[in-house]
Amino acid sequence: MIEFLIAAIIYVLLNFVLLYRVFRGPTAADRMCAADSLDLVSATALVLYSLYSGRSIYMDISMVVALLGFVGTVFVARYLEGRL
Amino acid sequence: MQKPSKFAAWLSTFLFCLLFWLLLTLSLAPREIFWGVVISAIVAALASRFLIHHKAFYLYNPVRLVLLVVYCCTVFLWEVIKANVNMAKIVLSPSLRNYQAGIIRVPGSPEVKSEYGLAMVSNCITLTPGTITMDVAEDEQGNNYYYVHWIDVAETDRDKAGEAIKGRMERWIGRIWK
Amino acid sequence: MVRIVIDILLAVGVFFTFIGVLGVHRMPDVFGRLQASTCIATMGTLSVVLAGVIYGVSSGSEPMTYIKLAIILLLVMGTNPVSNHALCKAAYKMGVKPAKDLVIDDYKEDDPE
Repeated sequence: MIEFLIAAIIYVLLNFVLLYRVFRGPTAADRMCAADSLDLVSATALVLYSLYSGRSIYMDISMVVALLGFVGTVFVARYLEGRL
Repeated sequence: MQKPSKFAAWLSTFLFCLLFWLLLTLSLAPREIFWGVVISAIVAALASRFLIHHKAFYLYNPVRLVLLVVYCCTVFLWEVIKANVNMAKIVLSPSLRNYQAGIIRVPGSPEVKSEYGLAMVSNCITLTPGTITMDVAEDEQGNNYYYVHWIDVAETDRDKAGEAIKGRMERWIGRIWK
Repeated sequence: MVRIVIDILLAVGVFFTFIGVLGVHRMPDVFGRLQASTCIATMGTLSVVLAGVIYGVSSGSEPMTYIKLAIILLLVMGTNPVSNHALCKAAYKMGVKPAKDLVIDDYKEDDPE
């Protein structure tokens, strides 16, 4: 169905707004917050593209993206807190 | 609170990992099961001391799982939808400056004592947009306190704020995890 | 009929993701950004996964798809609060000043460590 593709394209366009915040953010915590949201939006866009094209390999990639984004965010947060 | 034996903790984590592996591969071929057993044994040996703290087989209770699913589909979903609509109002307002943020200390109810319960209450508070748990502290009498960053402080009285933030959710979780 | 339901769910998901992204862009400080970004993880992902499940039921896909969708929902809903909590505490300990003065700040008074 074409709606999944349209929604995926909107999600990818929303990613550019977050990318602007990643480059622009005043502090490191702002950048990391935007990067975490970027991971989630990309994972959801991959789910939508997988539903559109009918290939389930994209869903595996989406799972890995969601998990690795979490691990990276927690590591950077620990580092910013000064307890690594 | 006595600690479980090491083997019981390992076995519980091993079963959890193996169930997750079977769910992910969804096949009963001997090769898949062999590698699943090997990898689950390694992961359980490394991670059992983080997952199991006082009772080894506390997580495997079907009544508790059914209650958990009912809770997630009714109470929690309704709270999340309400908070999302409130967040949309704040973000779409033109000036953006009409909210008052604050960090408030909220007393936890005495029903929720175990670590699973505390973790789940703070995760549910964080998952509703508008509130983030920053820390959980315990005083000398054994009461738990949550430090919650609240984006639109409506109550500065701590008990009423606790009722507004997590009242229904905490009663349900106290019924599920004790 | 099924198509209309899927369209409504996708529209809700896109709307709340838009709210989250706009909040991340517009909010004046880190704490507001973290609060707004929770919208992406909850309603954005939840409604897309629900739309996928309804589409799978109506078009008769294999059971692996439902399991993968459920695992993605579980991962996102389970891991996002942990990373948000860690980032919020790290930003507070780093000394990021809020844009407006906080109404009430118990964390500074008690200082639990």
